[in-house]
Amino acid sequence: MQTFFQSLVSGILTGSLYAMIGVGLTIIFGVMRIINVAHGEMVMLGMFGAYWSYTLWHIDPFVSALLWVPLMFLAGLLIYRYLLKPIVTGDELNSLLYTAGLSLLIANLALFAWTGDYRTLNLPYAIEPLRPFGITVPTPLAIAFGMAAIITSGLYWFLNRTDTGRAVRAASQDREAAALMGINVDRINMITFGLGTALAAAAGVLLVPSLYLFPSVGEILLVKCFVIVVLGGLGSVPGAIAGGLLLGLVESFGAVYISVAYKDAIGFVIFLSVLLFRPQGLFGAGRA
Amino acid sequence: MALLELQNVSRRFGGLSAVDNLSFSVAPGEILGLIGPNGAGKTTVFNLITGFIPPSGGDIRFDGKPIAGLKPHAVARRGVARTFQIVKPFPHLSTLENVVLAALVRNASRAEAVAEAERTLELVGLSNRLHTPAADLTYANQKRMEIARALATAPKLLLLDEPMGGLNSHEVDGACVLVERIRASGVTIVLVEHVMKAIMRISHRIVVMNQGQKIAEGTPAQIVQNDAVIAAYFGKRRA
Amino acid sequence: MKRAIPVLAVVLLFAAPLVVKNPFFLDLGIVVLMWATLGIAWNLLGGYAGQVSFGHAAFYGVGAYATMILYLRLGIAPWYGIVLGGLIGALISVPIGYLCFRLRGPYFSLATLAVAEIMRLVATNWDSLTAGPMGLLITHLPPVNFFGTPINWERKEPFFYLMAVIAVATVLAALYLTRSRLGAYLAAIRENEDAAESIGIDTTRAKVVTLAVSAFFTATAGGFYALYYRYLDPDAVFPISLSIETVFIAVVGGLGTVAGPILGAVFLTTFAELFREHFAAGHLIFYGLCMMLVIRFLPDGIWGRAARWLARRKEKAHGAA
Repeated sequence: MQTFFQSLVSGILTGSLYAMIGVGLTIIFGVMRIINVAHGEMVMLGMFGAYWSYTLWHIDPFVSALLWVPLMFLAGLLIYRYLLKPIVTGDELNSLLYTAGLSLLIANLALFAWTGDYRTLNLPYAIEPLRPFGITVPTPLAIAFGMAAIITSGLYWFLNRTDTGRAVRAASQDREAAALMGINVDRINMITFGLGTALAAAAGVLLVPSLYLFPSVGEILLVKCFVIVVLGGLGSVPGAIAGGLLLGLVESFGAVYISVAYKDAIGFVIFLSVLLFRPQGLFGAGRA
Repeated sequence: MALLELQNVSRRFGGLSAVDNLSFSVAPGEILGLIGPNGAGKTTVFNLITGFIPPSGGDIRFDGKPIAGLKPHAVARRGVARTFQIVKPFPHLSTLENVVLAALVRNASRAEAVAEAERTLELVGLSNRLHTPAADLTYANQKRMEIARALATAPKLLLLDEPMGGLNSHEVDGACVLVERIRASGVTIVLVEHVMKAIMRISHRIVVMNQGQKIAEGTPAQIVQNDAVIAAYFGKRRA
Repeated sequence: MKRAIPVLAVVLLFAAPLVVKNPFFLDLGIVVLMWATLGIAWNLLGGYAGQVSFGHAAFYGVGAYATMILYLRLGIAPWYGIVLGGLIGALISVPIGYLCFRLRGPYFSLATLAVAEIMRLVATNWDSLTAGPMGLLITHLPPVNFFGTPINWERKEPFFYLMAVIAVATVLAALYLTRSRLGAYLAAIRENEDAAESIGIDTTRAKVVTLAVSAFFTATAGGFYALYYRYLDPDAVFPISLSIETVFIAVVGGLGTVAGPILGAVFLTTFAELFREHFAAGHLIFYGLCMMLVIRFLPDGIWGRAARWLARRKEKAHGAA
């Protein structure tokens, strides 16, 4: 029974961070119909940002989020404005290939700049895990979960209570109708991309004390991200959150009850199954 | 014997019945009009007949044999051709090539296919546009090209989905003449259309749908007088 | 005159090892031929049929492992193993095709990615068959004669010729397929799949057949990998990067043309090798940049753009005359 709750908690904690990455990808797809293959690299950049600010300036990674998240939001705005805007009106497949090129570019520039060494960030207060109710919870993961929850609530408030946020939701549902209502779709695209990038980077910052860091970590995370977003329904924020938590739980339980080796494969099999049999996502919220 | 027969055909999407217990038949050599307000389910009926979506229930028979649930290419090979409400050309290919592809399915040699394609393109009046890329044709010409393409498969039954949509009055007249010429060449036609003047003029019989169900069937003269039809289009107060 | 150029190219190709003796250049040539083969094979499905697969590494890896395992476990010489590996690749492509072709556009692409990754994970974990992450190694090759002369597998030349044969075979198959009735059907599918169905084209079957041909040559190239490098592990032959680089070669070179991927392979591989001298993985930076530039400015690929430019020059020449 203990194992069950341990797996459950681990799954939810990791899942919450997956969820944040997934939400970023899904809003970009929902609003711009772009499958951002470079999304994983945004997480990676967040991770490296936090790593360097800790290693060089001794800023605690969770505090450095205050620096990196707004910075990456800005970076997202610029990337959209100068790199993505020209191709956003094109074919979905073309933008997939284009962002794949961008992903390769960023990942390998990082490799060139920082080498492929595996790095870890060892926080002094991370050595002793928390032990609520006899369940082991690594401290950084717990803090990450807390911050992820705050950020996600902030996002929820933004999307539902602010005009810009509502404009994002409108553009996500029907671009033309939104434009006809006077919404500047281009500006919304830019803000959404900035937001998606910021969410990815935030997840990276929060994850760096808990994961190995190397330039191609983005690739692995991206693939998981696809699974989440397809599970939850492309374009659906609640779907991505649910999908992220679900993947976290599947991996956690899969590692314990099936096999560590095949736990990644389970995610893919689920991914394929959903794509084939329920393309609108498990909760039917997505756009096929 | 009817060429096409629908019996109690239904199609549900979740809780919504797009087509509900629909039955009608089409006799060989006739032009059947299928009309109804927007959302009545007419294009869904076409999609059901041509295999783009499977029915939730009921039977569809073509030439006496069941075709419900067959894939679109199988239905096409049995002799049912269609055009689309929103034109689907092969945009980067020339007008001629668009139709040659359809003819190739039926003809062993490319030369025969080209000859057949040129013949049908002449029938629809596009002989002077053979080498224009399909994407560059005017909307009206794209519709004609699609008709030629459908005809190049040598069908027994041709389903036309709003061929007059977007045409001006003069073009509508031309389209009517074309449809009658196609029928004269031996092809049975089912026509979904909103342009009343055209439907009334060329249909032998009309089936009226509303909200997925058949509400009336008869000759144009009968339909125009039918209370249910008037109610569907203009609301109950007028009747 | 135009027919003569490809024939001349093939002659030059086979004559090259007689003139070029430097093993570095022969190796470069082998690598270029390998990528050209992969690109052309991929392009049948991607450029002609319009189905962009991000999972072709699945077939490459299957071909590589099949060749290895057939030799190490069953003693079947690798030069036969390569062809058998190709057939096995084509065979597994059929159920994969039927599964993935239920999806369209980017969803199809993502599904193929998932399939390739699943294969990689299976290869990593099925220890008894594949030796898992340890990989498989050929320690020595069986002696074989080519018309009486024993082949010296220590030299690069035999490998060059073998890869050249595979590449030329792939080109010929591609030319044949694209000019056949199937090729015409693929154009229809690429342009508008619904319309293609409505005129009687069995789109699923056409796609599955095309994939099988594409998979055959991709797996054959994988088999060659096993023979040439004599060692493989799951990350060497099933990586996502392989699938993605194959796509790049075809897109940058020119989708929907047979020659495009050849150009793409020459262009990208040459730069990659040059970069590799100075920057370890710098060539991927170049790939990424190229991909972005091509999609943005040259959607027909380099070959496509060149072809259009040539066509326009011909038009002008005729206009002036």
